[in-house]
Amino acid sequence: MRPRGLLLFAAAYFVILELLLVAAALAWPAFLENIGALRSMAAPIPVLGAAMDQIQERGFPAYLLAQHFFKGCNTLGAAAAVLFAAPAVAGEAHRGTLELWLARPLSRRRILLERWGAGALALCVPIFLTTLTIPILAERIDEWDPLGPYLECALHQSLFLLAIYAVAFLWSTLGSHPGAIALWMLFVTTFEFAIYMIKVWTHWSLFRLCDIQTLLDVIDHGLDVPLVGGLVLASAACLGASLFAFERRTP
Amino acid sequence: MSERASVESGVISIAGLARRFGLVQAVHPLSVRIGPGGITGLLGPNGSGKSTLLRMLIGLVRPNAGAAAVDGARLVGDGLAVRRRVAYLCGEIHAYGELTGRSHLAWCLRGRPRASLQRAIDLAKRFELPLAKPVRSYSHGMKRQLFLAAALAPDVRVRILDEPTEGLDPTRRREVLELLREDAARGTTLLFSSHHLGEVARTCERQLFLRRGELLDENAAGALRERARLALRVTWPAAPDASELERVLVPLGPIEKRLDGASATFFFPGGLADGRAALLALLLSSALPDPRAIEYGEPSLADLYRELYGVEGV
Repeated sequence: MRPRGLLLFAAAYFVILELLLVAAALAWPAFLENIGALRSMAAPIPVLGAAMDQIQERGFPAYLLAQHFFKGCNTLGAAAAVLFAAPAVAGEAHRGTLELWLARPLSRRRILLERWGAGALALCVPIFLTTLTIPILAERIDEWDPLGPYLECALHQSLFLLAIYAVAFLWSTLGSHPGAIALWMLFVTTFEFAIYMIKVWTHWSLFRLCDIQTLLDVIDHGLDVPLVGGLVLASAACLGASLFAFERRTP
Repeated sequence: MSERASVESGVISIAGLARRFGLVQAVHPLSVRIGPGGITGLLGPNGSGKSTLLRMLIGLVRPNAGAAAVDGARLVGDGLAVRRRVAYLCGEIHAYGELTGRSHLAWCLRGRPRASLQRAIDLAKRFELPLAKPVRSYSHGMKRQLFLAAALAPDVRVRILDEPTEGLDPTRRREVLELLREDAARGTTLLFSSHHLGEVARTCERQLFLRRGELLDENAAGALRERARLALRVTWPAAPDASELERVLVPLGPIEKRLDGASATFFFPGGLADGRAALLALLLSSALPDPRAIEYGEPSLADLYRELYGVEGV
């Protein structure tokens, strides 16, 4: 994706995330009023029931984590990660511009890192920007929450999405069909999100690494270093493999 | 990479460079020294390995064996050292349609000194390209000219151009060839691939022939040129009757010939002078129609191409 296109997509992604966040935050008083009824409605789906229990127990922070991070960032962010990464290299091959892209007097390492970095920024910056508006929104509904823990959650969320982005990017470095890469990656992430909702399979889902309980633990105890380290390691490994493949790629 | 390529300014030095794609040996180990200075044409039919060789030289395709050095920079790793010293024109014209011509030039020349962009813009204006318009509105030939402007702008000692005139109209083609000649006159080493024998014959001081990934030994090419020089080519208004032609040639004894539609090429083992007059006398006194053209002496590049590849060049 060209820089201007990436910027537009990132802006659209930010706007949608922020709109979802605003809507969710402003709906909190009504949600709180009806939480009992909502809990009963969610009961048939144990995973949702458990989420409602967490919200009932912890109040606004848990609600916000569920709405903004678990629902908003995980679904929209995962899609954005795939859509930003899939055309990164494969898109150039598909449109025939790979030779032109590589023929400039720039090292392949630099070319790839620039593109990887641009996509990663486009993916993560909107998460942080929207998170920065949480205290303002909380104040409007007479809630007060410190920003720090939410920023840690945003960091955790970003690293989780970066891991997905890095996998899709690696595939893009190896392939030449961005559409197929995007479709397969979206299928896998949707499947992973779907199995999270099935109680007996929840622990097999990747989204277990960034669910409400995990993010509540981040708020309570700070970043889980082994988990965050694992996510960073996964991204770094994929980036390393991408660099290795890209150095050898033939236009 | 056991062979060593000599590292000299303005010189393209290739030592045993080879590339295989799966089971296909795209380029067999080849060695050649080009420059300093001058225009060298790389000829060969489609699939002969021209583009792969050029791509290897600037690090776009990694060689499986051999070594190369361009303008004093050895081809190692991703070829960055070479790309910094060489301007390259892609053979395939796929552009970023959403960019304007000017932005596209700037994008292509990223990593080059600023002055290159201004030269490229001047060249593009000389080609009358609408630089403010998106590249998607350009024709194929206009895109080629835009790419050419970017390839001819950098102040480098070596340019590698993959089919620089493909898709251009005859006027623009002449203009581009003139630009290449001017560039060579300034001491630049130019290596370009082409299918157009005429332009290669007019522009290049030296021609390299690739056949199925193998560079023909220049001595062998010279021998073929000599063989073509000693051949006599007769063209009739229509394809001659082969049996009648055989009958006419009987008095000359065994003679090597190649019949190709309305033309026939005759080779005289003892030299052209030995059989030329007798052959023409026999042909003119036969029942065959009078020839439309009789060619001999200095062979054209087309003759040589036909000799090398057994097919007509363009």
